[in-house]
Amino acid sequence: MEPPKIWRERKERYLGIGIMCEDCKKKNFPKTRICPDCGSENVKPYKIAERGTLKYFTQIMNTGDELVFNTPYVVGLVELEDGIKVTAQIVDCDFKDLKKGIKLEQTFRVIARNGKEGLIKYGFKFRPI
Amino acid sequence: MSEKIGIVAYGVYIPRNRITVDEIASVWGEDANEIKMQLQVFEKSVPFPDEDVATMAVEAARNAIKQWRGESEKIGAIYVGSESHPYAVKPTATIVAAAIGAEGQTTAADLEFACKAGTAGMQMCFGLMQSNMIKVGLAIGSDSSQAKPKDPLEYTAGAGSAAFLIGKQNVIAELEGMYSYTSDTPDFWRREGATFPSHGQRFTGMPAYFDHIIKATKGLLEKINRKPEDYDYVTFHQPNTKFPLRVAKMLGFSKEQVEKSLACKYIGNTYSASSMIGFAKILDDAQPGDRVLVTSYGSGAGSDSFSFRITENIEKIRDRSKTVQYYIENKRNISYGLYSRYKGILKV
Repeated sequence: MEPPKIWRERKERYLGIGIMCEDCKKKNFPKTRICPDCGSENVKPYKIAERGTLKYFTQIMNTGDELVFNTPYVVGLVELEDGIKVTAQIVDCDFKDLKKGIKLEQTFRVIARNGKEGLIKYGFKFRPI
Repeated sequence: MSEKIGIVAYGVYIPRNRITVDEIASVWGEDANEIKMQLQVFEKSVPFPDEDVATMAVEAARNAIKQWRGESEKIGAIYVGSESHPYAVKPTATIVAAAIGAEGQTTAADLEFACKAGTAGMQMCFGLMQSNMIKVGLAIGSDSSQAKPKDPLEYTAGAGSAAFLIGKQNVIAELEGMYSYTSDTPDFWRREGATFPSHGQRFTGMPAYFDHIIKATKGLLEKINRKPEDYDYVTFHQPNTKFPLRVAKMLGFSKEQVEKSLACKYIGNTYSASSMIGFAKILDDAQPGDRVLVTSYGSGAGSDSFSFRITENIEKIRDRSKTVQYYIENKRNISYGLYSRYKGILKV
């Protein structure tokens, strides 16, 4: 949880800013300097869709210290309305009620806290609509 | 006022967890029915462990922006009022700015004045608007309030957020006037480093809540030459349901005028967000031409009073974002055990 990393990744984590390739028009998240599909450096920022569908999910029971406050938590693979797939936490729901194919929307949550005195990392997660 | 300034959009957020008065009373062996009768509060909202004042402020701000449909980069001021900011030093307002895409040419600050820090932000935005220094301002009240276990506050200390975009274009609620009353009254406090707030028991009533709300509201009515009967709706700070009902009566407002705003019954006292959520609840159903009076109260102590007239633009923004009622109904009840963990009373 180094300050430069939190600062550098904030648009990615807060707003879901990935990339769109100006050459092959493919969208990707997380952002990269080079298009992972065609290798072009001609990429521009792209804001991923805020809604999607749950494809796969699992429950995490044991974690490192930074995430223990939030256990157990659900991590899922979400296929967004723009076709991009992202891995994120699924919140505001009980694990037993989750099903593949449910509709989700982005929410803004605490990702991790660095002890009692360190920085707090924020970012997007998903919740059922 | 020569040009219409006022609210152009608003949004709220209330966490999904609720704990009932019955559940808390059962832990301490107290009479739940007696407490419910006294406070007229049935349950309160509780944030998840991954929610705090910043996340709730962002959710409310995003709902307001969704309703507004404007460009976030045009927001010239962001103020977040709270008594439970996640950092002692490092602003919540910058987190909100980044999370709504408003970083850059904007001024931002955190405010603290117990439960009225959110309306203090509204006043600052109105001032900047009035002096033509910004085009749109964002004032947020957001709190995840703390209460010592077994303290009477534990029954009501809830969590929630409300965000108001203030501007001149497409105003939905025109500001007709504002007035404040402030005095140094030690009714409720939390020292640096203290986990829980302390309060002056019955002293929080007459010399604090009632005196300030009455003086601010009467001051405003006198200033703009209005009477309680000129208003369709009124909302006050809601530390419980009994206080706003009582102060309404003392000021000459009817139960019907204040009733619509009373979210506290179902979500508890949301501190800085309390009177703002009450105002949002009124706006959810208000009609063009309605007059609304809003008076906040912050311990320490002070009250800000505002008079608004609803414009025809309110019809255009309806159903663009989630209502207060949506959040009241979108809930799950939790046990005192889970509540203790979520509030950090029970530590891992």
